[in-house]
Amino acid sequence: MLKRISEHGLYYFSLIVILTLAFFLAYSNSYDRSFQIGVVIATTFFYVLWGIMHHLLNHDLHMKIVIEYILIGAFGLTVIFFLLSVNGS
Amino acid sequence: MKEFLSHLFIPKESNNHRAKVLHHTNLFLSIVFLVLASFFIQAVKTKFPSVLGIQADISSEQLLFLTNKERQNIGVGSLVINDKLSQAASAKAQDMFEYNYWAHNSPTGKTPWVFIRNSGYRYVYAGENLARGFTRAEDAIKAWMESPDHRSNMLSSNYKDVGFAVRVGQLNGEETVLIVEELGNLNLPIVRSRVESSKPVVQSAPHISVQAVHRQPLINIQSLSSNIYIVFVVVFIFALLLDMIIIEKKKIMRFVGHNIDHILYLLLILVLIGIWGKGVII
Repeated sequence: MLKRISEHGLYYFSLIVILTLAFFLAYSNSYDRSFQIGVVIATTFFYVLWGIMHHLLNHDLHMKIVIEYILIGAFGLTVIFFLLSVNGS
Repeated sequence: MKEFLSHLFIPKESNNHRAKVLHHTNLFLSIVFLVLASFFIQAVKTKFPSVLGIQADISSEQLLFLTNKERQNIGVGSLVINDKLSQAASAKAQDMFEYNYWAHNSPTGKTPWVFIRNSGYRYVYAGENLARGFTRAEDAIKAWMESPDHRSNMLSSNYKDVGFAVRVGQLNGEETVLIVEELGNLNLPIVRSRVESSKPVVQSAPHISVQAVHRQPLINIQSLSSNIYIVFVVVFIFALLLDMIIIEKKKIMRFVGHNIDHILYLLLILVLIGIWGKGVII
């Protein structure tokens, strides 16, 4: 695992930077609902796209993998949307 | 049971060397379950609010105390409750629920100033802060303090009077706690504070008397929903970690996504559950 991370350092670095940026944006605007939704949609889109691109560059992209990233992204969006909705905020 | 859990979380031959919980079907079913559970919670919340509802403990006294505490911290004079501003805040809150909007200006074109003037308060300066979804006065004040515009309104020496409205009602089909803070001054201020509002905003306030919402349902919907989501996300992170470690050890080649990507993304979602859902302000 560590070997793969070091081999794909740029990819993981960029992923961590984007996720960290999303965290800070989310934290600093934690009371603005429109912004919250925008941040989570943009981050999810980036995560799915970045994952697919990475597999494509590694020549191991498969439809199963695309669906997996989309499902995990959809899971994350579902959690956040319903959290905001159920909590009445 | 042990075999079942092993099948769910340990990648092996019986689950095609991928933890069963991470198979596409189960991921999809988890999403469907969360959607159905959320609708079920919403339905129970609407039908039986005393059993499953929003827990809230907010009063205008608390809001006034906390606001003045912040003002004292920077050396600005305390605000006093004004009955007319409280009436204006009440009217605004009522209008927001009646016309179902979350904004300073109503869909019918009423600005916050209309509510203040209608209350008979002839202001020189006026301002309005709105908050919804908060269950504690401390959280609402903290949110306003962290927003430059709202903070400026709260701490401005241009204001001497304040009125609050704290109401529970339906906005966009969701039950929520609405807080309206109406700020004003009948006279021109002699001394100006360091923090001043350049754009006064008017807001309506609750009744003339002290406004408060104290609700203690059997089950607090915010804790319940957050805990359900946290459990789901943690289970997936755990399964991904276990799957990744075991496959690395066994050196098995598979056509699956990178678990580390999913873990990082889900960790962000987990953090967002913790920092979001407390309420919003405008």
